[in-house]
Amino acid sequence: MIESRNMSSEEYVIETFGLVKRYGKVLAVDDLSLQVPRGAVYGFVGPNGAGKTTTMRILTTLISPTAGESYVTGYSVTESPREVRRAIGYMPDFFGVYDDMKVWEYLDFFAACYEIPERERPALVDDLLALVDLTHRRDDMVEKLSRGMKQRLSLARTLAHDPKVLILDEPASGLDPRARIEIRELLVEMAHMGKTIFFSSHILADVAEICTHLGIIETGKMVAQGTVEEIRRQLIPTREITITLLDRVDEAKEALAHIEGVTTVENMPDEHGRKRIQVSFSGDDEGVSGLLQALSSRGIPVVNFTEETDDLETVFMRATKGIVS
Amino acid sequence: MEEQATQTTIETAPEHKPDRKFRYMPPQLVTDNPVILKELRGRMRGARAFNVLTIYLFLLGTFTSLIYVAASESAVSIGGQANVGEIGRTLFGGVVAIEMVLVSFIAPAFTSGAISGEREHQTYDLLRTTLLPSHSLVLGKLLSSMLYVVLLLTAAIPLQSIAFFFGGVAETELILSFVILLATALLFSTIGIYFSTRARRTLSASVLTYSVATFITFGLPIIIGSVMIALGLWYNGGQSSGAQKVLLYVIGGVLCTNPAATALLTQYVLLNQRTIGAFSYTLTNGQQVTLISPWIPFTIIYLALTAVFFVLSIRRMGKLEE
Repeated sequence: MIESRNMSSEEYVIETFGLVKRYGKVLAVDDLSLQVPRGAVYGFVGPNGAGKTTTMRILTTLISPTAGESYVTGYSVTESPREVRRAIGYMPDFFGVYDDMKVWEYLDFFAACYEIPERERPALVDDLLALVDLTHRRDDMVEKLSRGMKQRLSLARTLAHDPKVLILDEPASGLDPRARIEIRELLVEMAHMGKTIFFSSHILADVAEICTHLGIIETGKMVAQGTVEEIRRQLIPTREITITLLDRVDEAKEALAHIEGVTTVENMPDEHGRKRIQVSFSGDDEGVSGLLQALSSRGIPVVNFTEETDDLETVFMRATKGIVS
Repeated sequence: MEEQATQTTIETAPEHKPDRKFRYMPPQLVTDNPVILKELRGRMRGARAFNVLTIYLFLLGTFTSLIYVAASESAVSIGGQANVGEIGRTLFGGVVAIEMVLVSFIAPAFTSGAISGEREHQTYDLLRTTLLPSHSLVLGKLLSSMLYVVLLLTAAIPLQSIAFFFGGVAETELILSFVILLATALLFSTIGIYFSTRARRTLSASVLTYSVATFITFGLPIIIGSVMIALGLWYNGGQSSGAQKVLLYVIGGVLCTNPAATALLTQYVLLNQRTIGAFSYTLTNGQQVTLISPWIPFTIIYLALTAVFFVLSIRRMGKLEE
């Protein structure tokens, strides 16, 4: 009766195939296929309204897709929602907080909803509070907590039943910088605990430092997906290297132009009276060091040699450019 | 069915290991219902529960005193010698009537926000991604509300018991009044939950619930009264005994949908027929018909309707958002 996929589920914790969600005339999710490998920290990035929340709500069994299939830890989201619920810890993009509850009661209640026996709950609640550093607020009312603390409490809640996957919708949005960093550190810690983390953000800076994989979504479609490095290579085929020279600019340009992989060598405006050139290069790290070698072997006085690593923000802007107004 | 499904999955699933850190146990519906625990913790915390109870008893006490004054005055003036039993009955009936009004309005207040309130707190989605089944949530909300109603009714027993000083009232009446009040509270609470699952906001759920509760408690008697007057006019024309019998059953059946009418009739039957069960009634033409005390059909109807609304609520919650 219940189908469980054996194919590739060993590798991917979350998988969707041609997922479609239509609200009337609006296509919120359009033929979306995503793969989240086991143990990944997967950043699901896209502008507001791109379909991130809709995708997550399908994966968390809250809404049914119009078409397509989705699997979490090998279980079909539509066929065996209970198994999926057991496997995931979900944090929506809002705080679901009761106003008449103490912090420990909140965790105790959700632990009970996950069918954790009563005698195991006190120790579990204490562990969770310690993990998110809220032990000192144990007996305070939930509504008295700051935004950042509520978010940490929510994160603790998602861990109550020791799920394999965490599905976190905009975990860092609306937080001050300090709380943002705390959440980020917690996510890293949870990744070390062996959780697969699938989280969304519309700010790439939040994602860039901690994620291993990226999926960029735009108007319901997956624009790019893969490891951070794959995406970088996919979206930025050439590396930009800026070289600052004391002298012998033409000689340097000449030498560089003949190296394989160098597409263009251009003059750049002087900086503090120093000559600068920019080299577009498609090659790996060894190739880059070869460029420097070629210059120094000719005795050309190199003052500075920098690769302008396009940050992910640029990658993101490039991936989504023009599509979103 | 579901249990079996879970079993199969555990065996065939690629990576589900049942022996994890926690052993999962199906929660006992009532004894280990997380919602009941949470609701009671929230409800009984702070001064609110105490205040509600105080105001309730204060109102009830005030009305009881007024009824006592009125009943004793009228009893003395009529007979010259006070009919103490009459005072007791009036007092008891008055307290039950006030309790009925209060319960009819307090019970839906607790439940009409049960599900829509979760939506408003944005906790509904959280609950739905846990393993908590819909029926546990509905049952938890219903039982926690009913427990508070029971507390209110229990707290009022001393006031009801004042009637025992005067006599004219027996324990049977006390128990029957409890049954009728509880059945009323149960149905109104469940209707509250049902509208709460349908309405997006608590306010509209409350309005709908109170409309239905008001209709059942006040609207229905007015309609029944008008119909009876109309039928009474028609009845004067004279009917066959068969028609009379049918008419009696129909009117009786309709009356059994109203808690106040049921309570009054049940007491009337108890006093005049000395029974709380079946009795035979003589029509004007001398024909004997068997009738049963109204509290029995009333309780059955209310419990059945409660079950219907309970199932409808669960169905409604089981539906996925489109």
